[in-house]
Amino acid sequence: MQPAQALPSVVAPPRSHLFMGALAGIIAAIVALAVGELVAAFIDRAASPIVVVGGTFIDATPEWLKSFAIATFGERDKDALLAGIGGTLLVGAALLGMIATRWRVIGWLGVAGLGVVGAIAALTRPTGMPIDTLPSIAGAAVGIVALTLLLPATGVPSDASDTRRRFLATSAAFVALAAVASVAARFLAPSVDTATSLVVPVPASAAGPLPVGVDQGITDQTPFITSADRFYRVDTALVIPAIDVATWTLRIHGMVDHEMTLTMDQLLARPTIERVITLSCVSNPVGGPYVGNATWVGVPLRDLLDEAGAQAGADQLVSRSVDGMTIGTPTSAVMDGRDAMIAVAMNGQPLPPVHGYPARMLVPGLFGYVSATKWLQELELTTFDAYDAYWVQRGWVQEAPVITMSRIDTPRPLGRVSAGTITVAGVAWAQHRGIKAVEVRADGGDWMAAQLAAVPSDDTWRQWSLAWDASPGTHRLEVRATDGTGTVQTEERADPFPSGATGWYSTVFTVVEA
Amino acid sequence: MSRRHAFLGVIAAGSIFMGATGAAAQSPDASMGAMMSSPPMSMTEPFGDACSAVPADGAGSFAGMAAVPVATAASANPLLSTLVQAVTAAGLVDTLNSATDITVFAPTNDAFTALDPATLAAAMADPTGLLTQVLTYHVVPGRIAPDALIGTHTTLQGSDLTISAMGDVFDVNDAHIICGNVQTANATVYIIDGVLLPPADGAMASPDMMASPMASTAP
Repeated sequence: MQPAQALPSVVAPPRSHLFMGALAGIIAAIVALAVGELVAAFIDRAASPIVVVGGTFIDATPEWLKSFAIATFGERDKDALLAGIGGTLLVGAALLGMIATRWRVIGWLGVAGLGVVGAIAALTRPTGMPIDTLPSIAGAAVGIVALTLLLPATGVPSDASDTRRRFLATSAAFVALAAVASVAARFLAPSVDTATSLVVPVPASAAGPLPVGVDQGITDQTPFITSADRFYRVDTALVIPAIDVATWTLRIHGMVDHEMTLTMDQLLARPTIERVITLSCVSNPVGGPYVGNATWVGVPLRDLLDEAGAQAGADQLVSRSVDGMTIGTPTSAVMDGRDAMIAVAMNGQPLPPVHGYPARMLVPGLFGYVSATKWLQELELTTFDAYDAYWVQRGWVQEAPVITMSRIDTPRPLGRVSAGTITVAGVAWAQHRGIKAVEVRADGGDWMAAQLAAVPSDDTWRQWSLAWDASPGTHRLEVRATDGTGTVQTEERADPFPSGATGWYSTVFTVVEA
Repeated sequence: MSRRHAFLGVIAAGSIFMGATGAAAQSPDASMGAMMSSPPMSMTEPFGDACSAVPADGAGSFAGMAAVPVATAASANPLLSTLVQAVTAAGLVDTLNSATDITVFAPTNDAFTALDPATLAAAMADPTGLLTQVLTYHVVPGRIAPDALIGTHTTLQGSDLTISAMGDVFDVNDAHIICGNVQTANATVYIIDGVLLPPADGAMASPDMMASPMASTAP
């Protein structure tokens, strides 16, 4: 007995139409996205509709979120953002599909509208060019065709099972098309083999072996050298630029006597230096993790600017990445003799893609957002009056030397240790000024001088440690550093925005009977 | 991908979509509402009646709090200003911000108001002793997911607290969770309507702690 199946051949229930409409919308969106990715693979992976919309979102993120979340965006949130955009699009597409079962035109206009949004986002990206709108336009066009072919016929259907069969066949065809397009897009997308495509030059001026005792070897203390995979990442790149070093160039222009464009071979034909340099992010809160120390090999920036003939009055060096990030650095800091460089290697290897392959800028003593451009492709000498770089446009200060900072790594916050003599240890940094002293006090008592580890130069952080007699109970330790100029780290608390956090770090933990 | 990341992503994308379709370009809370109601996300999102009091955007919103460590997140939330004062007085801001993976039971301003004034005054007068003991009694190591709440948890103060459920209301000792499963960068937060006081015979109670006539208070 199957009356329910025998009856509806006359009038298809609207609910199943709506369901098919939703499915049609979703499939059309998937096909549109896949075609968009495929077209983007031919033009520029960063022109993919999802990526341009995501990038626009990051740039438009209000400062309350971004000033704290740039670091978070640097990690998995970028994947989540892309997935979220995709997911939201699918929900919207399902709704559009349902509406389009009744009103075709709304479905078409809706898909076209989404295409226009993608195209505008592509065009308004910092590196946006008219051709970048193609992925969104092509995707929307295919999406409209798919939606039209997939939607159940309006009016009274002749046979529900026919409709269903036709729908299934069309769906299968479009899903297959989407699969082929996205596989092809992935296959076509350039990948970078950093290990084989860039040969790390032998430095004309080597860093030499690290001094004995840069590492005090205390459990839980931050290691002196940060491995590349543990090095913090803070940037706005949704897609890590995939750069072919064979076609990469560095252009030096603006207020210079001789504009230059260098290939990687030409750049690395110049004498290179190898230095250990600590890099820190302005968004690092007191006690925070956005600081790291590595050995870098690169070409001295001053040599390049001398060669180009930097003109008097050019007080700002604006560097640009291939994805349109702009960073403004005081020319004076680059030219004052410090080891500012165009780095191509990190800890003996070519830069990993997330750290700026094939070349990034480094200027010891300045926060990253005013000095450490990744995926570098352009240097322009200009003035601070003439141009505000990306973060300055968003309210961060123009000139940002690093702030003297210190951190307790052990004992751990809220941890438990046994009574007796314990080792308190951590790191302190004031790049280019150096760390002259670190002091610790317990429960507001007298300051005690910590033992300082060796350092190769003033451009790195410095480990410190202290033996302390721990009695049972809850204790609070505070730390402060004195930089090479004799200035003691300020106690006054400031948030990272707009020029970097200040204040003494403290940690509370419990000492239990041994 | 962690829940909070996915959550942030969905909220972000929700705003874009609603903006893109012109439905709610000026109204982030509308987009958030739309996103939350469409795909049911079970226990991956904050729950509780008082969640509606959390700002819809800004640093004190769910997305804002997810991006920063717990003490910074709390300081952006007007519901928790008394707690933040207490945490600051006890010198626990950096400690809470730099601890990895903890659960914090965060009493609201009203919870502090409901506390016996003499108890509060005694605690505030002894920031590194009694106050620190009370505050660390609100912190449990690890991130407790909603489905792992029920039972006994040993706090960083040393004493246990007990969580039970009646229907869909969770009780922490005698306090209620009024907005739970709020994600911050390093902690999962459950906002509660009562201040938790460690038992007088708590395992880690300091001498001055034991001298205080303590009992768990009702909100």
